[in-house]
Amino acid sequence: MFDLTATDYQAVALSVRVALTATLLSLPGGFLAGALLSFGRFRGRALLEGLLNLPLVLPPVVVGYLLLLLLGSNGLLGGLLAKTGLRIVFTWWAAVAASLVVGFPLLVRAVRIGLEEIDPRLLQAARTLGASRRDTLISIVLPLSGRALLAGAGLMFARSLGEFGATIVLAGNIPGLTQTIPLAIFDYINTPGGEGRAMTLCLLSVALSLAALLGNEALLGKWAKRSRS
Amino acid sequence: MNKLLGLIILTCAILVIQPAAAAEIRVAAAASLSDALRALDAAYRERHPQMQLVPNLAASGTLARQIVAGAPADLFISADRQWMDHLVTEKRIVPGTVRVLAQNSLVFLGRSDQTVRSLADLPGLQRIALCSPGSSPAGRYTEQALKKAGLYPVLQQNKRLVLAKDVLQARMYAERGEVDGAFVFRTDALLAKQARILFEVPADLHEPVLYPVGLTPEGARRAEVQEFFKFLASPEAGRILAGFGFMLP
Repeated sequence: MFDLTATDYQAVALSVRVALTATLLSLPGGFLAGALLSFGRFRGRALLEGLLNLPLVLPPVVVGYLLLLLLGSNGLLGGLLAKTGLRIVFTWWAAVAASLVVGFPLLVRAVRIGLEEIDPRLLQAARTLGASRRDTLISIVLPLSGRALLAGAGLMFARSLGEFGATIVLAGNIPGLTQTIPLAIFDYINTPGGEGRAMTLCLLSVALSLAALLGNEALLGKWAKRSRS
Repeated sequence: MNKLLGLIILTCAILVIQPAAAAEIRVAAAASLSDALRALDAAYRERHPQMQLVPNLAASGTLARQIVAGAPADLFISADRQWMDHLVTEKRIVPGTVRVLAQNSLVFLGRSDQTVRSLADLPGLQRIALCSPGSSPAGRYTEQALKKAGLYPVLQQNKRLVLAKDVLQARMYAERGEVDGAFVFRTDALLAKQARILFEVPADLHEPVLYPVGLTPEGARRAEVQEFFKFLASPEAGRILAGFGFMLP
């Protein structure tokens, strides 16, 4: 049953690496976007929120295609990058980019809810006691919203593990290079006699995603206990 | 409250009840046949206005899995011998009905400014798109040809190969200039707008690209399906297929 080939192991490792990179890269931006949406009062806030949430509801294939138009060698950004010798399309960075865009709204959503739960009187108290903005951020906002950030990051990581539609368009399906678990499963399903391999990878995918979600819950539980004591 | 209930019931009724259709022929066909099938449907309906073709277009492998799982289909047109054989062994296609509907060939598609003329020029290119050999017939034929020409290991080692999900994606990469060229079927290449056929892959380098067609047990029992099946073998259907670039067996 568990006869995985070398490329299957590569797919598993790549999936984890892509999901982790995408999540870590989006943490600062995710926090900033969440803060902007929950504290910011500016024109076009609703529009910004809509745009940020769009990848959540758009078909991933559309996200992938738009990213290809943007990052491709003839694309707006891709053309500039090509001049510096950087190439994203068809490399593992393409998989990261796809996961980043598709998972980002989940992170922002969690951060935003966390920030909105902070008692505004705490912030006012900090200000009246003479704390600078930076001080307030580090000693009040971050500790109180850390749990939400962790929850969002966990969700985004899990979502990135399963990214398929945008990845296969932007990164192609290259074994050992851009083939993540879902792409490998897709290949096996469409291969005569590939059922066994597909099933093994499916089970592995379920186990990995479940572990990510449960691990995240456990961390969150620990955090809650620590902040109560 | 009653109004709300009425609305809910009405909505459900609209969703559930479908208009009584004319006699349907459910065709599961490889996606590369979609345009040709539409034309065949139009031609057939001129003579049999009461008949309606209900196409299910996807990769041959996806369709085969659906049919094995019990998806309704009267007729299956595969882009690949393997999947047809698979369905015959699974007893979802009546063995005696299988025959070849059309033939295709493999070409290399690229932007007009490319100077590639044959397989031998490929090592000079940076990125070459082909369909995933595992899941797509076009990819399998390409792999055979490249292996026979002794190019596959070199191109793979130098990471020149970009594997696409299907022919349409490979063609899109070629048209957008994301790759220097892509291996696709001739019929798909003829529909490209910003790319042209740079060369034909010699037919002796890979298995012939055949589109077998066969009837499912449900389809074989219906006279109107048999009728359409006969039409597919007619000279008129042949002309339509040839018009899309397919070759006749």
